Amino acid sequence: MSKHYDDILSLVIGKIRSTINEDWIQDFEIEGETRFNTDLEIESIEFVKIADAIQAHYGTQLDIVGWLSGKSIHELIGLSVGELASFIAGAVPEQG
Amino acid sequence: MARILFTVPPLTGHLNPALAVADALSRQGHELAWAVHAAQIGDKLPEGARVYALDHGDGADPGIAAPQVRGLESVRLFFEDYALPLAERVLAPMEAAVRDFSPDAMVVDHQMLGGALVARKLGVPWVSQVTTSASILKMSPVLDAWVAEQYLALQRRYLPEDLIVERPDFSPHRVIVFSIETLPGDRHARVDAPYAFVGPVRGEGRRQIEFPWEWLRQDRRKLLVSLGTVSRDRDTRFFEVVMEAVSGMPEVQAVLVAPESLAASAPDNVLVRGYVPQTELLRHVDGVICHAGHNTVCEALSCGLPMIVAPIRDDQPVIARQVIDAGAALFVRQGKVTAAAMRTAIANLLGTPSLADSARRLSQELLAAPGAPGAARIILALAAAAPASLELA
Repeated sequence: MSKHYDDILSLVIGKIRSTINEDWIQDFEIEGETRFNTDLEIESIEFVKIADAIQAHYGTQLDIVGWLSGKSIHELIGLSVGELASFIAGAVPEQG
Repeated sequence: MARILFTVPPLTGHLNPALAVADALSRQGHELAWAVHAAQIGDKLPEGARVYALDHGDGADPGIAAPQVRGLESVRLFFEDYALPLAERVLAPMEAAVRDFSPDAMVVDHQMLGGALVARKLGVPWVSQVTTSASILKMSPVLDAWVAEQYLALQRRYLPEDLIVERPDFSPHRVIVFSIETLPGDRHARVDAPYAFVGPVRGEGRRQIEFPWEWLRQDRRKLLVSLGTVSRDRDTRFFEVVMEAVSGMPEVQAVLVAPESLAASAPDNVLVRGYVPQTELLRHVDGVICHAGHNTVCEALSCGLPMIVAPIRDDQPVIARQVIDAGAALFVRQGKVTAAAMRTAIANLLGTPSLADSARRLSQELLAAPGAPGAARIILALAAAAPASLELA
């Protein structure tokens, strides 16, 4: 994976930690493969908050809600941190 | 006298409210019948009940499995593996039952879709019974579209085109919700339907359960910890975290409804019981730690008790959010919470007067709700109305 992706992945992981803001998640190993539903026990309402925080960081160049609305229920259930990061990596330009 | 047909899935949380409403109706002499899976819940019906069995007797009737599944996945599995196959399988025996009994009205649990489709097809007035305050809310565009698509395929196989609707599980006549309107609140969009919030039904004479009342001490703050009957045996981690948290809190006593094997490792101020007389025990405690199952939440709130909610599956995350938004609960994450975080949550639960104040406010509303007798009145009014006027409803 590129530095562009890695940077975004760390940002996403940071937003997950700060949004959930519970003791366990500060030490919990979050990677690209980590799944929101099964691994992190994050419900959709909390996922929206995380998405909002990321959206606020990148502004209008990103449309996370639109991206999610194209997903099937099976894809939503299995959604991983890396899939979210990949989507963002494809949507925002690399910092020069 | 009216003829009323009840149909519910073979699940205790759906049968119990129907039993309470049926009791109110039969006391007034109305004639009742049940279209249910008799092999699974026939023994829980009143003695002498008229039963139309929906079982196929081939051992293939859908059951709720996969207790380890959590969150959104449990919702998907519920539809795909349970509610929809169940609906498909009951259509024929259900239609035969309705034709035979000729009810003036039907009471159809909103997860008993087969009953709703038969009522629609045969033009029988019907009410939906919705057993929790979560099921009336829209979920998300993706999920709602998926649910509508599942329902559409089923309807196309059974109903003429002009009777097909987006949400066939909600009656166009009346939708009785066994909760209070404050819980769903107005933060989230609801499925559009003619709701009547009647509140929870009151505990109707459960069997006697032994409990060592002398163990509870006047000079301690007391907690009831329960994950409900479905998730009690899921895994013991959550109970172990609670025990560790409470072991450092000598001013607290906790009763855990949990596998009794945990008793050996319980600290002095924790009592582990496989079953408890919950309704009575709630009158003796200061707070509740639970999975946000609708029954436990309503029982605890009816007693004015604040709670810590650790939802797992189905509609529990939504109900948990509703009680938190109503100011009467704190959240912990079921599979992740640490003993330190649990201890902080318990200290906050017992030390934050506004939580108990909110719970008491909700208790007044819950106790004032009309309950099963109110639901019975709505059903009778529908049964008495001329079918022609119902077409307009």
